[in-house]
Formats: sequence, structure tokens, C-alpha cells
Amino acid sequence: MNWDNDSDSGEVGRLRCLLDNVQGLVDALTSVRWKKQQDALCEISEHGLVFTVEEWSCLQARVYFRKELFRTYEYEARARPLFGVSLNLLVDCLNTFTSSSGSTALELRYPGFDMQLMLKLIDANNICHNAEIRTLVPSSVPRDFSVDGNFDSVSPACFAVKSSSLKEAIDDLEWPGSSISIKICPDPQQVIFKGEGHGDLQIVFPYSVHADLFIAFQCDREVSYKYKYKHLRATTANIPSSILKDNRGSKLTIGRGGILKVQHLISVRQSPMDHNHSYQTQGVRVSYIEFFVMPDEDDPDSPRVS
Amino acid sequence: MKFRAVLTDYGVNLLERRFLPALEKIGKTCHILLTPHYVILLHNVLNTVGVQAIAQFTKEAIFDDYRISSQYDDRIAFTVDLALLSRALKSSVSMDGDLLQIKLVKKRAKITDTPTPYLTIESKGFRSAVVQDVPITQPMPRREVEELQAALDMAQDLPRTLVQVPNLLQLTSLVERLKNVGEVLEVGVTQYGDLHLHVSTTLVSIGSEFRSLRVLGVRADSTSVDATLNSSERLREARDKGLASVVKVDVKQFVKSLQCHHTKPDASFCGIAPNDGCLLMMFQYFIPGTRQTDNSISLHYRLPVLLDGIT
Repeated sequence: MNWDNDSDSGEVGRLRCLLDNVQGLVDALTSVRWKKQQDALCEISEHGLVFTVEEWSCLQARVYFRKELFRTYEYEARARPLFGVSLNLLVDCLNTFTSSSGSTALELRYPGFDMQLMLKLIDANNICHNAEIRTLVPSSVPRDFSVDGNFDSVSPACFAVKSSSLKEAIDDLEWPGSSISIKICPDPQQVIFKGEGHGDLQIVFPYSVHADLFIAFQCDREVSYKYKYKHLRATTANIPSSILKDNRGSKLTIGRGGILKVQHLISVRQSPMDHNHSYQTQGVRVSYIEFFVMPDEDDPDSPRVS
Repeated sequence: MKFRAVLTDYGVNLLERRFLPALEKIGKTCHILLTPHYVILLHNVLNTVGVQAIAQFTKEAIFDDYRISSQYDDRIAFTVDLALLSRALKSSVSMDGDLLQIKLVKKRAKITDTPTPYLTIESKGFRSAVVQDVPITQPMPRREVEELQAALDMAQDLPRTLVQVPNLLQLTSLVERLKNVGEVLEVGVTQYGDLHLHVSTTLVSIGSEFRSLRVLGVRADSTSVDATLNSSERLREARDKGLASVVKVDVKQFVKSLQCHHTKPDASFCGIAPNDGCLLMMFQYFIPGTRQTDNSISLHYRLPVLLDGIT
């Protein structure tokens, strides 16, 4: 590896990788962009990149971009590099690279001589695009909701539906102007979304093996918790419409203490989208997005596990 | 003061489909200067703020049977709302009449009103005619016409070096995305055909470099600078050697000027005026069906330069 003009690795660790389809990374990061100005924490490891965005200590999102999604991934470090970066700036910079035509790869390097994140792409017309993004020293380590929620327990209540169906339901639930309760019932097997504000709205997803709605359903005992609408909305509002058209699934799991986990799959094509080919003929891989939402503690009527 | 002409089909297409939509992006109203030989649409020629656009057509490019007379060397100038003009031309086209005539008139809406000037567009078909009146400002007096003509004459100078932009739509897409990153765009043009675009803020530095573009005018060999240096170092060296000019422009104004792609130019050029006075974009159009430049149509944009990041 030739690290010309980069800082001495010391204890920082180094990454140089090539990404074929920048749009996939843009789509994944856009999905967790619920505010105009957000900072993300980026952790680099031998497995890939993880971006974490947190808000109000009760909403967190993680984007997992595994090393298999890159054309090449060269990583060396004694400790995993961890740095802060403006999410909005990163997405806007990556977006300028998607305007290029052709299938040349984006080169991503860290750290630059001043600990920057360095991006470079030379497109098919020999136009060279460069970016250097300042990184920040992280002020705190993000909470590990996956441990707190005990999601790996034997039988958490969970279900999976098409992402577009989930988004539609959550968009409709804006109407009551209240917290939204999510109830997963074993008998009859169904999921009920309910809002009671200046009007009541209830959306029922009945589970049936034969119907198209559910991809999966698991529930041993009834579980019900309330969540602030703005937090719930953040989990689906920013998924790009091109991703929703892929018809992939989203999985919701209610863990210990009512911590809600919402998982999405974002398709990452191995070459820039070619509308003449279906995604079965080109290689398509996925990036995982996880949202963690704390239950609404402000609501005294918030029901719990029955 | 008299003006009357017949719009050709090609002329209507040039205006309504291509040039008026592009010029509307710069501003809602513009000056029109009619002379015995030319029809010129002008934005921001009399002030130094905003993007200056000059679209010049020979009368034959747009009109047949062109007649003009005035006390000011047969020149007439006025301001018109581009959306109204565009709409009138569009609905005249849909009439599909035999003759589309345009003339300058004075009319009153009511008998008690004072007469106000209009550009009347009349579409005469076999059985019916449609008349549309597009309001315009009072035609400019001699002093203002002279002022407009003088400003136009001053704007004829071209940069010594121009580079050809290979793909205008790609450049437009790129600059529109750069607009989200920062407000000031640094543009560098070298005599050996490199075009540099760069946005820099406290948190990010992002740039694109177009290399080995076609050069018009004064040119230098690309071996004049050290090819092993990175992009910004090469530009700095070229500038030190007098082989490049670099200016800063407002990125939003640059995006507006790139809406000229609506005019469907066949060749687009970019250059920096002497003494870094402005950034110039020049567009050429081919005679339909050929690759010969149509000298009856020209379009220039001039962007004001920011000094140290402010106007």
C-alpha cells in the first residue's frame, strides 16, 4: 500500500478501499438522515464500516456497510479507528461523485495527513473528483442498544413486512398527533398500530401465512409499548423511494424494556444501476440499517407487557 | 416608432422552446433591443449584480419581413416579462395559423386609460385569428438606448483562452450537487485545457478537474507544469507561471447560468476575462443538419467574480 501524504499510522489504523457503486452508500446513509445537521460516528474495522447516528438518547440508527460490498478493502490497525463526521456533508460529497458516468470505483482512504476522510474518483471521461472531509474526535461512545434490548433472547416478539407497507402505515399514523402504540398479539396473530390524539387511528396487520403482507411473525405473548411519533417516523421517512421499490423487508422487534429495533435492507448493486437489467442478473448485495427507539416514558398510560 | 415582423417556425422554436426557458432562470424580465439587423435579449447588462446574459440573433434567424423604424437610429429597446412572452408564443403555436405576426402597438384597456405599449402577437388562420397582447415597459428614450448599446459594446470582449466543456449536462449535474456543500465555487482555467472546480469550507474541500479539454485562443503545452503534482499544486504552479486564471463565483449563480442547456448548444466554452474581471460562458450553435457554426445565433453569460468570498 502506498500511503503518500497520509499521516503516520501510529495507533490510528488505516483504511483504503474501493467502492464500485457510490449510490448504494448514499442510499444507506440517506435512510438515517432525519435532520438537516447531524453528526455520525464512523467505526472502521476488519469487517467493514459502521456509521452511528444518535438523537435525544432515545433514538439511534446504525448503518452497516460490510467489507464484501467493496471491490477492495485494505485495512490495518491495532485498535479500531473511531471518528465523528458530519453526516449531511458526507452524503452531499458522495452525491457529487454519483453524478459521474461509467463504472470506475470510488477510492476511500482514512486518515489523511490531518485525519481527514479522503475520497477520490476518476470517471470514464477522465474527470478527477476529490474530496477531503474533516473528521471530529468523538465526545462519547454510543449506547449499545442491542445489548440493552436483549434482542438475542430466545423469543422476542418480532415481525417482518415489506418496507413500503411499514412506511405507509407510519406515514398515516401522523394524523392523530399522538404517541403511537405498537401491540404484537399471539392470538389472533396480528400487529396493531394505534394513535389516540385529536382523533383515533388504528391500523391492524393481520397475520396470515397465505397473504402477502408479512414476511415473518413471531410472538409468544402479547407485547405493547408506546413510542413518540417523531422517533417512529425517523425509522422510515428517509428511505429513498428507489429502495422501497425493491420490495425488500423491514423487521421490527420489541426487546427488553420496550426497546424497539427496526431493521431495513438496502440493496447495493455491484455496478451503477443499469435500468436494462433486473437485479437478478447483476450482483446485488445488501447493507443493513438498524434503528433503536426507546419507549415513550413521558406517557403515564403507556401499557407494558401483558 | 414602428416595429412589425413575421415570426418563422424556426424562430418561434428558438425562442419559445429553447432561449426563453433558459433566460427565465436568470430573471423574470429582460431587456429586448431591436436594431435594423439584430434582435438581442439582455439580462443585467446595466448593472453589475447577478448573471449577465446576452442572446443575440440576426433578424433573419427569427423573422421574415422585418420592419423597424425609430428616431434612435432605428433602434427600439424595452423590458418584457419572459413568462408572458413565452406563454403568448406557445398558445400562438397551438393555433397553427398560417401567419404569426408580431408588432409594437399602443392600446388602452378602457377608453379612460392612457395608451400603454404592448407587443401584439397575431396568429391568422383560415377561419379565425388570435391576438395576444404582451405588456411591455415604455420603449426606452434615446439616452437609455445609447446606454444599453454602450454596455453591449463593452461586453463583446472575449477571454484570451477558452476551454470547451465536453458535457454540459454532466457539468450542470455536478455543480448542482456542489451547491449543497458550499456557497463559493473556485473556477480555474488553464491554457493547456484543464478546468478546475473547487468548493472549500471549514469542514470540507471538494473539487473536480477536467483535463485536456479543447482550447480556443492562447494555449500552452501541458508539459509546462509538473504532471506528478496533485491537482491543486498543478493549478498553483500554472497560475504562478501565468498559464492559468482562477476566480471565485457564487455557486448558485453558476447553477442558474448552466440552465442554458435548455438552449441546446452544440458547443460550450468557459473562460476567465482579462484581469479576472468575470467568468464567461460562451455557447455555439450549429446550422441544423451540419457541424458548421451558425453565426446568426450567439449566447454569452458573464458571472460576477467574488473578491475574497464576497461580492
